[in-house]
Amino acid sequence: MKIIFEENAKPNATVEKLVQEFLNLKGILEVAQEMPVVIFQDGMSGAYYIKCSILASDVVDLCDLNAKLDINNPEGFRANRELMLTNYTYLKMERDALKGREFNDVIVEYNTSYSREKPLKVWGGQHRVSAISKAGVQQHRFHGFRIYFNLSKEQRNEVALISNTNIAVSNDTFDRMVEETMFGDVLRIWCQHVGFLNTKEDFPDTGSRSEKITVKKARTFITNYYLGKQIGTNLETSDLDKRVYEPYLTETGTSLDPKYDEIMRSNNILDDAQLLEAGKRFLALHHAQVKAISEEKKRRNTKAYKNKAMVESVLCGWSFISGLLQSHPERLKKHYVIPKVSGRIHDPLNADEMSKYKHDSDKATYRGLGTRSALKDRQRMAQLFLARTTKDDNAQIDKDLMYSAVSQVVGLLSLSKGYSK
Amino acid sequence: MIDFRQYITFSEKYLQLAKAENQKNLDTDWLLIPALTFAWSAMELFVNNMLDDFSSLPEDMFQMHERAFLLEKRLRFNNTGTDCGNFTLENTEYRSLEDKILFLIAKAGKGKKIRESTFWSDFIAFKKKRDSFIHPSRNKEEHLTLTIKEVELFISTSKQVIQLVSSEVWKKEIEF
Repeated sequence: MKIIFEENAKPNATVEKLVQEFLNLKGILEVAQEMPVVIFQDGMSGAYYIKCSILASDVVDLCDLNAKLDINNPEGFRANRELMLTNYTYLKMERDALKGREFNDVIVEYNTSYSREKPLKVWGGQHRVSAISKAGVQQHRFHGFRIYFNLSKEQRNEVALISNTNIAVSNDTFDRMVEETMFGDVLRIWCQHVGFLNTKEDFPDTGSRSEKITVKKARTFITNYYLGKQIGTNLETSDLDKRVYEPYLTETGTSLDPKYDEIMRSNNILDDAQLLEAGKRFLALHHAQVKAISEEKKRRNTKAYKNKAMVESVLCGWSFISGLLQSHPERLKKHYVIPKVSGRIHDPLNADEMSKYKHDSDKATYRGLGTRSALKDRQRMAQLFLARTTKDDNAQIDKDLMYSAVSQVVGLLSLSKGYSK
Repeated sequence: MIDFRQYITFSEKYLQLAKAENQKNLDTDWLLIPALTFAWSAMELFVNNMLDDFSSLPEDMFQMHERAFLLEKRLRFNNTGTDCGNFTLENTEYRSLEDKILFLIAKAGKGKKIRESTFWSDFIAFKKKRDSFIHPSRNKEEHLTLTIKEVELFISTSKQVIQLVSSEVWKKEIEF
């Protein structure tokens, strides 16, 4: 077996001996294929390592997830975090492993001074090793490892830290990537046509730090518009107020929401003038809200109030009702009018009053209307916008409207749980 | 707007103050009476709001007599005029809290027989005591006494009524 020190690595007999010892273990591709093994030395820490591939079934036997930083202390605690075995991303990792996913760059240390039967102490990629051990063994696949040798305490600490430091990728970024892959630039162009994004502007990486519309919110808007439209087509105007609607919040992250997927496949959003109109009307509401709050001087919680229209439950409710009322033009017209403001109510969405609202059925800790994205809040917001269209044109969103809209939701839900005539 | 939880809290605060005064052998009526009325208001507010949830629904979702009950209106049969032969709702006809509770339980709560329960007799005792303080007269003077133990029971009864109505109608427990 040929072992070579890379030209930046200073030859070291102890390391070479340990590498040789490691290569005697089973399941190593480089050994089976008689490939030369290169020893690297990190220029910053001086730590030695090799890169190699290990068979899934041997990963299970060789890897130790309870790596210790202080190997001389028999009482030393394991250094790694607890595995998050119910985490969505981990479960996907397991599913991928079952289908033959090959994982790479798992960071381990070859160390036989404790738990000798499992000499590869895992410092980076615990979840990947767990997925390989649980699901990957059913696939006869090799997985890529970086294996460190003869680490000092300081080097070990650094490997552990670097292996567990990552710059979190937000779900908004994943959404943007998945969107681009599945539908190209259609959603971005639609948002540019509406005015949610400027020409040539893209969706933000992290929605929470940006006041721009995210992929998730744009998808949610479109999905609710079409879901509402479908329901509204089958309802008489007199029946609109006799049911509770369930605006939908699209899934976010590494997989594409199935409802959104279906809607995008069955509609050409760039050719839908009514959808474009709905988007523009919503944006006008958002701008009116931002302007009203920005001009107010004595405001608490300004950012949340300013972006009230962009809160998920508000956006969901508004877009759902815009779709629902497509077949009910008289009420749609009222929905599209920006709620009026007055000396008492300074902003169209009356964000301050909304934040104080609470129904008796709510917990004492409830934070008010249009603050959360849970189904209950989406239902209430939809009902609020719908109830407004039963009032005069340009009706305010005042306390009475909030009480009557939420009362309707609670009343209808109570009836649906059993009411004897 | 004050909610039912706040009324319960007010009631409990008055009760605590009454207990403190009682330990000093001082008069407690001036604290126990508001404790009693706040406990009643909590229950009444909760039930009234629940009826409002139903009365806010479109008119044709209920029978005429149910709407009359929900809106606390009188149901009248017209034998003259343009509405001749039809029923209409007119004027105000107040319903007692006990009727409202019985209505809610019967309509949305599968007709539970609460009148036969101990809890119901506690509620009736609470009602009598409350009425005697809210509508006092010389003839009822013998009822105008109130003890800490009674108020404790009334607060508990108020919470039980709220809990019962919530679990029957909303199928959920209320956190106080």
